[in-house]
Parts: sequence; structure tokens; C-alpha cells
Amino acid sequence: MSAVLEEILSGGVRLAAPLLLASAGELVSERAGVLNLSVEGMMLTGAFAGAAGAMVTGSAVAGVACALVAGLLVALIQAILSVTLRADQIVTGITANALALGATTYGARLLFTDGSSLEGFAALPIPVLSEIPLIGPALFEQTALGYLAFAVAAALAFGLSRRFTWGLAIDAVGEDTLTADRCGLPVRLIRYAAVLLTGATAGLAGADLALAEVHAFSDNITGGVGYLAVVAVIAGRWRAWPTVLACLFFGVAQALQFAAPAVGLHVPAPLLVTIPYVIALLAVSGLVGRSRAPSGLTVPFARTA
Amino acid sequence: MIALEIAGLSKTYGSVRALDGVDLTVEAGTVHCVLGENGAGKSTLCHAVGGSLTPSAGSMSLFGTRYAPRRPKEAIAAGVAMVHQHFSLVSTLTVAENLRLLRVGGLAARLERLADRYGLAVPLDETVGDLPLGVRQRVEIVKALLREPRLLVLDEPTGVLGPAEVDALLTTCRRIADDGGAVVLVTHKLGEVARVADVATVLRGGKVAGSGLTDLSADNLIPLMIGRPADDLAPVLAGTLGLSEVVVRDERAIDQAPVLSLRDISVTRPGGGYLLENVDLDIAPGEIVGVAGVEGNGQTELIHVLSGALVPDAGTVELAGEDLTRATPARRTAAGLGVVPEDRHHEGCVPELDVATNLYLGRLGEYRRFHVLLDKKAMRSAATAVIEKHGISAPGPAAPMSALSGGNQQKVVLARELALDPLVCLAAAQPTRGLDVGAVDAVLGRIRAAAAAGAAVLVVSSELGELLALCDRVVVAYRGKLSEAIVAAAPGAHDKIAHLMIGATA
Repeated sequence: MSAVLEEILSGGVRLAAPLLLASAGELVSERAGVLNLSVEGMMLTGAFAGAAGAMVTGSAVAGVACALVAGLLVALIQAILSVTLRADQIVTGITANALALGATTYGARLLFTDGSSLEGFAALPIPVLSEIPLIGPALFEQTALGYLAFAVAAALAFGLSRRFTWGLAIDAVGEDTLTADRCGLPVRLIRYAAVLLTGATAGLAGADLALAEVHAFSDNITGGVGYLAVVAVIAGRWRAWPTVLACLFFGVAQALQFAAPAVGLHVPAPLLVTIPYVIALLAVSGLVGRSRAPSGLTVPFARTA
Repeated sequence: MIALEIAGLSKTYGSVRALDGVDLTVEAGTVHCVLGENGAGKSTLCHAVGGSLTPSAGSMSLFGTRYAPRRPKEAIAAGVAMVHQHFSLVSTLTVAENLRLLRVGGLAARLERLADRYGLAVPLDETVGDLPLGVRQRVEIVKALLREPRLLVLDEPTGVLGPAEVDALLTTCRRIADDGGAVVLVTHKLGEVARVADVATVLRGGKVAGSGLTDLSADNLIPLMIGRPADDLAPVLAGTLGLSEVVVRDERAIDQAPVLSLRDISVTRPGGGYLLENVDLDIAPGEIVGVAGVEGNGQTELIHVLSGALVPDAGTVELAGEDLTRATPARRTAAGLGVVPEDRHHEGCVPELDVATNLYLGRLGEYRRFHVLLDKKAMRSAATAVIEKHGISAPGPAAPMSALSGGNQQKVVLARELALDPLVCLAAAQPTRGLDVGAVDAVLGRIRAAAAAGAAVLVVSSELGELLALCDRVVVAYRGKLSEAIVAAAPGAHDKIAHLMIGATA
């Protein structure tokens, strides 16, 4: 039984790693008032670029660098559209996702023709710690990208604190752009930085999927994980630590589908896949605590007088 | 020493000239009042000085150096601090967090200095959204003074304050000027000007109508503001303009049984406590009852309970014997309850739709052809009649609401509610806010006429003088409770209400 539990936990943490990365960036961006539905597209593009980079150079690290750049590029488009041109954030996000899906699927047809496995990241167990029963393998037997995910999530959670001026500035911009502007805060710059940060972390999340999880690129490899990252932010009620918990919870919920047969639980797999989304629906409909989004979320900034 | 010099400042929006060649000279060490009616260009001038908008023409200089801020940040860096008409504090952050957004060093020491010099102490750990408006205003002033500005500009800062808070604010302005700072106080209340200003400039229609004025009497200023002699000024206007002498309407005997009855209405606040607590209110046909009070003491919720936007947690709303507590807005309209909401842009109309549709949106059934088609022609001709009758300045019934000025939008909303047949009860929140002098007269006249025709009228306003001149009885909202009714014509009513507004027992 404990072996199964260990399996579920380590699977959950593994699946939570890309979610953590993506939702860490998304959280910053939403706190600054920009809803990046395109985080799905950023991840997908990152996964594709990561896989392509790793294949061409033969180096997984180079692949990660490519993923980072690709994520940033999609984010730059999103930022120009939603911050400078003040386009509707939901429409631009969905459009960017559709574009990313089409482009990466087409690119995969051209590039990944032999179906061979890619240079990727292997697990790096930390001696002693990884021997701890139950949580040892889950927390201390991850890939380099997995550890990075936790480090990034922790750093952002810490950095978003209102004890720091930047955390405060991000919140001010997300709540009320006009007030922030009148305080002399660089509203557009902060929003650009927040969206680009999401691009970077989502790109890394994509690289994690392609290079640490699957060691290959497949069509629509993200399959909605980006949307799940957005949902994790909502379920975490726009606060850092609850969002981290939501990611871990969603990871474990996903891992359950693989472990269910082992414990003799014969629930159809497609039903299990829906668990995170059911939880998300509950969270959004207010059953899991009362949600309050930043007042300025999706509201473009214009210095009207 | 000249602190701020503005020369030939203009701002045009399309064909509209919001500012037209404005000159203004502000000396250091003085409080300079900029006066004007709504729409005179006062706020536009403030935004230009504060860097929120770029003027179309003209130049400014600050203490002798050229001054052309392109964004608020540059204005702040130049030593200009603004206190805006609408508060610019992030309501979800605490006071301390809002002040830290300014990134000034030695915050604690600066705060202490402000508290010592001006008596401006602020509750640092409270969330701004939970604070009464008067305290928020104080935080706003502290925020403006933290950077030790050379020029302080206040844009209609007293609109939401009670009498005692206005006094404190004016005293602070005076002290800042006495310390050598330059203060520009923008207002439309003449009473304040007389009490604090050294010099006044009057704007009218985007132009300077009078400058360097040191005779600050109402007789001198009103003609400049409204462009005609003050003789024909209705007594209610005197109240709206903040003049001390208010003519109260005669006491009338109301002997009919109440038609609108609120019984024991309570609305709980999400975080605990009450927005409205055990509110009882009766209004008889033909009676005008005013709700006075500093904004944010439950008036908004009271109107929402009447309009149906808010279902009270306890209590009942009865109109002519019918229980409307949980009725839909359509049911309320059919029962003859008209409501003019406080926020006309969001609750009173659909800005994107045309005037005719806004007038008849609730009564589309009366304008049908062949049962399914809308008779636009009939609707528009009916709307044209309303536009004429109410003196609404609009390009026509097919013009979108958003093309109308705020005052005219207000007239449309009021016209729609007054057109209810029968009109049993009219509830109007801040009916004259944002209206120019002529429009105030018209709107108040129509409210009086509605009462004379037998409607029970409830008016919520933060202008005490206006309420005293308009109403038979006035109740005061304070922290979600309503006071006993005070007869407006009774001696000492003004002082009694002013006391109740700040929570002091009269």
C-alpha cells in the first residue's frame, strides 16, 4: 500500500512541476492585472522549441534555453497586444493558443519524423534525503528542471509578498492602474515584465514536459496543462502559497489516474482525468473559499483624463 | 515668488474645447482657489498640471523653470502633488502599503512630522477600503505631502466630506500656505473660497472669466461663474454652492398615511457588521424626505434596497400596501416606484444605446407593431417630446447616451422615472451631482412637481443646504443607521443635522 502511495506522491509532484512553473508566472501576471490565457500556448511553444533545440544541438540544456526564448516570444506578442494595444485579453489569449497549436503541430510534422527519443533530463536523487519513506522519492528524486520548478515557485511566492516594494507595486497595478500611475509607478513596464515573466516560466514548463517527462514532442503535448495553471491561480485565490498547494493537489489528482488500477480502483480513466477540472469548477463557483480577483484583472490601462 | 505660471493653456477633444487659452498665476505662500461650475474645465486644468494629460497648446512654468509633464511621474518629480476628486488609493491595500508605493525614504519620520505640524495622523495598519471617507481623504493629503511638494493641487476635495472634516481640510491648506507652500484648491463651493482663499480665479466654459480676484464674496463670484446676475438664483442653488445662508422651505402639514414604508431593514456587511441596521422609514404622498450624511454611511445600500439591486437580510419594503422586498425591478416599476440611482453611468443607463431606447427600455411593450416588431418611429417621436419637455440638450433621440454630458444623462434618467404612470414613489440619489446651475434648477423643480402631484419622494444627497431647501423632513445616515426625522423648517435644523452627520449626538 505504501508503495502505491509513494508512487502517487512522486507521480503527483512530477506532474505538478510544469504546473508550478506556469502558474507561478501566471500568478504574477494576474496580480499585475493581465490574464494570460496564452500560458497554454507559451508552454506548447516552449515544449516544441525545447524539443527542437535539444534534437538539433544534442544538448538538453540548449533545449531549455530555446524553450525559454520561445516562451518569451509568445509572451512578447501577448504583452504588445494586451498592454500596448489594449486588446481584449481573453480573445488574444485564445487566439495565441490556437496559433501555437497549429504552428507546433505543423512544425512537428517537419522536424520530428523518426520518432526517436530525445536527449533529456534524468532524475537526480539527492543522497540520504531521497531515502526518506513516502515523501523522499517524491521531493528529492526529481530532474534538474523539477528542482528548478520548486525553486522558482518558492522565489516568486516570496517575492510577491507585500513586504517588498515590487510585490506591492505589482498588486497596485493589478488593482487600480490609474492610482498606480498617479503614484508614479511605471504601469506598462510592470505589466510587460509580468507577462514576460510568465513567458519565461511557461517556456520552462514546456521544456519540463518535453525534456524531463516525455523525452519527445507529441502533438498538443500540453493538453490543457496551461489552462490548469490558470485554474490553479484561481483556486489559490490569487495568493502564492495556496496556488502552490493547488498545483500540487492537481498534480496528485492527475497521478491518481495512473495509480487507480494498482489499488484495484476501477474508475474509467477519462473520469479521473476530469478531477482537477471538477475541482477547478468548484473553486471558481465559490465553494472552495470565497474568491476575489484583482480588481484590475483584464482591464487595460489608459491614462484618460 | 511665482510658484506656477500657466500661459494660454488649451485642450481640445475633437471639436470640444475643454480649456481655451487659460492663464493662471499662483504665488507661493498663498491658497489660490480655482472656481467654476461643473464642465468649466477645472478638472482638465488639474490633469494638465498633474501630468495626466498633455495640453494641445500653451505652456507652464514652475518656480521659473519650464514645466511640461508628460506623465504623473514627471509631475511628482518636479515637486507637484495632486489630490484627486476620486481618491487615488488602492482600496485593497493598507494605509501603510499605499504610502510605501511612493517609495520615499524615512517614511516614519516624515509621517511624524506631518502629524506634528498639521495634526494629520493616519491609521497605518487599516485597509483603505474599510476606512470612512473622511479618513481616506486625510490619507490622500498625507500621501500628497509625503514628498514635500512645492505645489499642492486639490481637485474638489470636499465633495464627500462632512462639515467638520471640511474645516480640518481647509485649516491644513491654510497652514501649508503659511509654511510657504503654494496651494491650488479647485472647488465649486463658494463658502469654502471665502474661508480659505487668498486669491481666486474663475473658469467658465473652459475660459478664464475672472482672475486675480481678492473680493471673494458670493455677489462678486457667482455672476462670473454662471455668466449672469445672481439675483435669479434659486434658494436651493445657494445650498448647492455651499453658501452659508440657506432659505428653508415652509413647513407644510402632511396628514396622509405613509405610502412607502421601510420596516426594520438590515443589510449585513460581508466582513461582519452592518451596511444598514434596523432602518425604518415612512413617507407620505406629497412628502419629500431627505437622507443626509457623509457618503458611505449606508445611503447607497438604501437606494439599492429600493431599486431591487440588493435584497435586505431582514426587514420589508412596502409600497401602497404591497410587499416589494424581493420584487423584481419590473414589478417595482409597475407598482409605481421610480428610482434614480447614484451612479447613472453604470446603473442608470446603457451608455452605448440611444436616448430613445434608454428612455423606453423598460416599456418596449408599449411600442410594438404587429406584436413582434419594435415601432422605433413612435418611440423616437415620443423621445423627442421628452427631450423637449425636459430641456435635455441632445443631438436627437437617436444619439447614443454616451454622447450626452453627465448633466443631460441625469436628466434623461430622471425623465424616465418621472414618466412612470402612476408615479407613487420617487427615490433619487444625488440628483444634482455634476449638474450645472441651470440644470440643478430644472431637476429640483421637477422633483418638487412630482411631490406636488402626490408622489412620495426620497432624496439622498450629500449637500445639506440642498436638502434643507427641498425637503419636508431630513433623516441622517450614520454608519448604516438612520436618525430620527428632523423637520427642515425647524429652527437649528442645520446644526443638528451637521452634528448627526459626524456621529455626534445633537
